[in-house]
Amino acid sequence: MTRAASLLIALLTALFAGVLLWVFHEALALAPGARLAESAMANLAATGVSNPVTAVLLNYRAYDTLLELAVLLAALLGIWSLSTATPGFQPAGAVLWGMVGWVVPLLILTGGYLLWVGGHAPGGAFQAGALLGAAGVVLRLSGDATAGLPSVAAQRWLAVCGVAAFVGVGLATMAAGLGFLTYPSAWAKWLILLIETAATMAIGATLAAAYVGGRPGSALGEKRRP
Amino acid sequence: MGVIDWLALAVIVPLIGALAVTALPSRVRGLGLFAACATAVIALRVTLEVWQAALLRSDLGGWGAPLGLALQADGLSAALLAMTALVGLAISISATGYFRNDDQSRHFWPLWLLLWAALNGLLLAADLFNLYVTLELVGLTAAALGALTGTRAAVAANLRYLLVGLLGSISYLLGVALLYTAYGTLDMTLLAEAMQPGPVSGSALVLMVGGLALKAAIFPLHFWLPPAHANAPAPVSAVLSALVVKAAFYLILRLWLDVFAPVVTPVASDLLGILGALAVLWGSWRALRAERLKLLAAYSTVAQIGYLCLFFPLLQATPEGTPRDDLMAALVLMALTHGFAKAGLFLAAGLVQQSAGHDRIADLGGTAQHLPATTFTIALAGTALIGLPPSGSFIGKWFLLSSAVATGQWWWIPVIMAGTLLAAAYVFRVLGRAFNLEPTPRVFVTQARTEVPALLLALTSVAVLGLVASPLWRLLGLEGGP
Repeated sequence: MTRAASLLIALLTALFAGVLLWVFHEALALAPGARLAESAMANLAATGVSNPVTAVLLNYRAYDTLLELAVLLAALLGIWSLSTATPGFQPAGAVLWGMVGWVVPLLILTGGYLLWVGGHAPGGAFQAGALLGAAGVVLRLSGDATAGLPSVAAQRWLAVCGVAAFVGVGLATMAAGLGFLTYPSAWAKWLILLIETAATMAIGATLAAAYVGGRPGSALGEKRRP
Repeated sequence: MGVIDWLALAVIVPLIGALAVTALPSRVRGLGLFAACATAVIALRVTLEVWQAALLRSDLGGWGAPLGLALQADGLSAALLAMTALVGLAISISATGYFRNDDQSRHFWPLWLLLWAALNGLLLAADLFNLYVTLELVGLTAAALGALTGTRAAVAANLRYLLVGLLGSISYLLGVALLYTAYGTLDMTLLAEAMQPGPVSGSALVLMVGGLALKAAIFPLHFWLPPAHANAPAPVSAVLSALVVKAAFYLILRLWLDVFAPVVTPVASDLLGILGALAVLWGSWRALRAERLKLLAAYSTVAQIGYLCLFFPLLQATPEGTPRDDLMAALVLMALTHGFAKAGLFLAAGLVQQSAGHDRIADLGGTAQHLPATTFTIALAGTALIGLPPSGSFIGKWFLLSSAVATGQWWWIPVIMAGTLLAAAYVFRVLGRAFNLEPTPRVFVTQARTEVPALLLALTSVAVLGLVASPLWRLLGLEGGP
């Protein structure tokens, strides 16, 4: 690309950003105050959780989150359809393994804490799942070709369990005559916890399997631990 | 609505199917086909309910708009839902014959059922952010399916498709963020009531329609489509051309006519019309010049989306009443006809490719003798692409032309004429090659599982939609009729 062309692109991008800023300013001027935040806070008592973000993700707009978990599943299926995984990394030295032996349990423990705390403070399935995924990444980087994941068949069940729990709860509430994903107030907390637990496992497994970078082939059959 | 929420089931059942075939890869074909049948039945049942009740709405989670989410079906979504169901079912049956390799069908079925769930979710969504999530799911699964052949060309084309789709989604999301900032709601019905012309709604319109135009391959943003659609496995090409592109177009139509109705101006509609006209001419010309059958079909999709865009300036210029209702129904009829015809054409092209080992048009001599049913399918689909009677697109083009005369926008007429002539030329170029002088075969159908679904799709586009089009007017809740 020539200098003139890149200058032109930079200029146009700056212009676009300027127009967007001005339009955003205009939009703020039209704003009806707190928008949906007030009614989200007003109904919080009936949602089963006291963290408004979790209430939005798992109750008010639970169907959005259900589809987002399906997006994660689609990404993993896409990765699996493209190629088999390569072994990738050498087994780590003794010192690194020693550290991994500390870090991975800590990551799993912290993931569990974040899952539980999501009901009343920042946290939840996506954060907890990300930590589990990170544990998988650490394991793979230090030479565990499967990133700590179980057998191929089990990986498939883990990848679908988040969406499955969501759909199962939705169908159960529908069968109870309440409507799809309409939780009864008394049960809301436990239903949300059930969904979040399954979602945490699914997200963690999906992220780790995505990092492995291909469908688990025969080359990865054996786990190697020094 | 009773205990059973059919709108939610239309999204959930294909999703459950996708989970089942992911978890149990050894039973992928039986489970996949069962899920496809169940999904089609549920979608047709929703269409039937809309036929009786005009509008269905279901508040998921029981909160109601604007705090919660809802699914909604009106005539337009129901018509496209039914098309998706029938085309999807035919593609599913055909795929059981096309993917003979176990490995390929293990990858095809989960992604295809996820895509079907996302398409149904998109057609039924009533909330702008929920639409964004369905768009993401559609884009991701469509790109992964397109790359299933694993060839370098297919992977490159679909990586570009994925990136283009992401750009489109982000642009759409930017528009949604502006609308939420200004109006404090994401529900389409509430937004339509509150919408006022101004810089904010104008920018949101440009960002959202611009992003979706990338996904719908509206000229000149169509550059990614021909390689992506031409290099995919045939059942996937059929899904991409007939359903995925149509879903993005549906969303443009929905935003343009419902949500942004007070914001759109005649100039904006004319611009879409001009892009449509260029797409008709350029797409048809490139289809005529294409060397491969699937590339021809892909360029013809660019042209057919162009015809749909021609309706915008005419709708803008036609006041409420029977003529506008006729025009609206003709638009949907054209979209449905193209969906059936293009799916049939791609499935047939896939069979030609499998049987001849290639799909070079110049070397297709004698195909009609080997695959009579498939050649008949190509001819029928071609009839619908040209717009010959009795196909559904004949009625569509008829209303398009008469509306161009009635509103005095005569300049669209030569475009439609030229596009039709070019379409006739590219269809007969294939058929001319296919009918060579060779011994006549004794059997009409050689591979029932793959040939019959394609034939039925093409037949629907010509006979069913053309001869029995008037129920569509009633489904859409409109006056008039052919």
